[in-house]
Amino acid sequence: MQLTLWTYEGPPHVGAMRIATSMRDVHYVLHAPQGDTYADLLFTMIERQDKRPPVTYTTFQARDLGGDTANIVTRAVQDAVDRFKPKALLVGESCTAELIQDNPGSLAMGMGLSIPIVPLELPSYSKKENWGAAETFYQLVRTLLLERSKMKEARPSREGRRPRVNLLGGTILGFRCRDDIAEVTKLLASVGVDVHVSAPLGAEPDDLRRLPDADANVCLYPEIALTTCSWLQRTFQMPTITTVPIGVGATRDFIAEVGRVLNIDVSAVLGGEVPGQASLSSSQSRMPWYSRSVDATYLTGKRVYIFGDGTHVVSAARIASEELGFKVVGLGTYSREMAREVKACAEKYGVTALITDDYLDVERTVAELQVELVLGTQMERHIAKRLGVPCAVISTPIHVQDVPARYSPQMGFEGANVIFDAWVHPLMMGLEEHLLQMFREDFEFGDGATPSHLHSVAPVKPEASSSAMAVELTSAVSIPVLAEPASAPELARTATTVAEASGAPVVVEVGAPVWSPDGEKELGKIPFFVRGKARRNTEKYAVAQGIALITTETLYEAKAHYGR
Amino acid sequence: MAVSTRLPILGGPDGEGSVQVHLNPEDKITGALCIAVYGKGGIGKSTTSSNLSAAFSHLGQRVLQIGCDPKHDSTFTLTKSMVPTVIDQLETVDFHSEELRTEDFVFIGYNGVMCVEAGGPPAGTGCGGYVVGQTVKLLKEHHLLEDTDVVIFDVLGDVVCGGFAAPLQHAHRAMIVTANDFDSIFAMNRIIAAVLAKSKNYQVRVGGVIANRSADTDQIDRYNNVVGLTTTAKFPDLDAIRRSRLKKCTMFEMDSSDPAVKAVQDEYLACAQRLLDGVPPLLIQPLKDREIFDLLGYD
Repeated sequence: MQLTLWTYEGPPHVGAMRIATSMRDVHYVLHAPQGDTYADLLFTMIERQDKRPPVTYTTFQARDLGGDTANIVTRAVQDAVDRFKPKALLVGESCTAELIQDNPGSLAMGMGLSIPIVPLELPSYSKKENWGAAETFYQLVRTLLLERSKMKEARPSREGRRPRVNLLGGTILGFRCRDDIAEVTKLLASVGVDVHVSAPLGAEPDDLRRLPDADANVCLYPEIALTTCSWLQRTFQMPTITTVPIGVGATRDFIAEVGRVLNIDVSAVLGGEVPGQASLSSSQSRMPWYSRSVDATYLTGKRVYIFGDGTHVVSAARIASEELGFKVVGLGTYSREMAREVKACAEKYGVTALITDDYLDVERTVAELQVELVLGTQMERHIAKRLGVPCAVISTPIHVQDVPARYSPQMGFEGANVIFDAWVHPLMMGLEEHLLQMFREDFEFGDGATPSHLHSVAPVKPEASSSAMAVELTSAVSIPVLAEPASAPELARTATTVAEASGAPVVVEVGAPVWSPDGEKELGKIPFFVRGKARRNTEKYAVAQGIALITTETLYEAKAHYGR
Repeated sequence: MAVSTRLPILGGPDGEGSVQVHLNPEDKITGALCIAVYGKGGIGKSTTSSNLSAAFSHLGQRVLQIGCDPKHDSTFTLTKSMVPTVIDQLETVDFHSEELRTEDFVFIGYNGVMCVEAGGPPAGTGCGGYVVGQTVKLLKEHHLLEDTDVVIFDVLGDVVCGGFAAPLQHAHRAMIVTANDFDSIFAMNRIIAAVLAKSKNYQVRVGGVIANRSADTDQIDRYNNVVGLTTTAKFPDLDAIRRSRLKKCTMFEMDSSDPAVKAVQDEYLACAQRLLDGVPPLLIQPLKDREIFDLLGYD
């Protein structure tokens, strides 16, 4: 157990809330103290829902703890059933309420209500939000299908109808689920496959009862739906389509798998797709062509770090490496449940996966790897901002700007277009290396210049004092856009150089070359977006040559060396 | 299922001030019929368990056999191999149980029987009971117990400590395997004492005796009559059973044209059916060690 300021996932009852909120006619009675009602804000503020989540909190208070808290549960359950008339009721407790051990699920089961009750046992201190969502979805599906599961029915006949599948795993507060479902529905329609039920997002309890009438399940988000998909496979012999169609390659693989599992001809759609070829006619997505056009050469070899939930990280690594030509220098996930897939993926790119729920580990890794682009969650956006590295958000947890008003899926061919734009724009298109050489003396590209799109909001910079200047110049890849005073870690990072500048003695790690003030100053003249590379190359050169102190000369010798 | 899985707890809750640690209610197995197989070391618990599992599967039941012995040799006649244990697998993921998949520690054996080996610490160290507890927790988390009809715990030789009695917290019936000899009946008497102790707080009851490797059962009968125990099944000392172990298969894969083999198969099926129909809970008091010493033997 450790104290932290921020976490990637909430407690498991937040996962249960996501399931309840994603569906219609499902209500969740949550045994929780007053303070736990804050979770409503996630749905109204970040996801911008137009209604409160369908959750009734028991909101017990300190004085209730002296009395009968169990009574509060049964009263809340009865009130919720009378008022909201749900078709299924989830009953559980928050992490705080788990400690008073009222076992609200059993209490509700004993009330003799006429609607299906799903008691939720979500161990708050060993499991997290996505697990809670997956478990809740599974328990709900199983409860509603329990009678049907005992009938040993045959698979539905395909006679006289189009094949149909369920789309499982989309939730509120997932990453672009609303648009992904629309996009995958379109994609499936293009190969003649109908969507039978999409759940939990948009479904009601009766829809879950007819899940087995589909021919297969599409496991869109394994974090949420894998448990349910494997139960449906075990119990109703429903095959699972497991490819997650994020990226052009994965979308093609997805269509091929749909064809294989449903035994249908998908060549009409796949025929227009020419893997490995880049032209506007070789794919339904513009991504392959855009990423190989001459103007995109600056993408090649960009050092990218990827962190997020398992599904999005594995997909992003494939896109980054195979479709955009980036170099994946590191990746990781906070989803322990997906650690296996992520580790296997990391191995494929010759890196070690970071499996952690501590954002400080991620920050440290991003800083050490000197990356040029971070693909991550809301937290990596902050990390990247602090380190002055471009970033695109690819996974939950998200902030309000990641729930855009416009259509912006991640899945399918349109999703690949969206991804291309979202990842490439932070990289300052138009500032390719040959342009930099031509315009490097131009005032607009100086370190002090405010990017034109931030002109109206950028505060006027006060004349920097010489020491602040030193900090500015020496920080690894500082973007002046932020125009914030350097944060504490940043100061710590640059302390060595500053200390040296002020004549204080410097403790130098053996083997690691140190930058002299003039060398550091000269490095500062190099535009920030290639400065990281220049710094790395110079340090590599210095180590190779056994140079302990990097001066202006060393910098140019290194430049000459690598230029040869 | 005829057997009632809900029994009142004897003697009510523990007395005031008790520090007895109870099973976490969330770890309770609901739905499935749970049978724990006990008996003296080497008496044939694993043979009995695996053949019973096979018999249950032939009766159309979904069966899960959990080997609770650190030597993890309970299920090999079902799986035809020495499968990795739960503890082995937890070690590979540095005890982050979330990373485990069902197929890492559950292996489908003969006729669809699900097989798990809990594994455990090296002899003389650690706590075997902890391992059984973790295994049950993991099986619950992976929803394996919800869609299972019969769970068989095959337990280490003797009740040597509270830890090894852990399966008794989950079981409805404890079946005791014994031969018609002094040592195994003496051990059975001590197991009955352990079950009685657990039945104060849990629903476990002695279900009956399985006489193994015995042509006669006179000594077992003598003990049964005194304490009020019943024999649920009898198996002779048949060479085909010994051979089935060496062939690493269950009795149901042996040549059933041999009438002796067929008889053993039928007895396992009958025993499984009796357990399904529900063997009455036996509330029996064990004998004192001196009493049993005097009781057994020749007149």
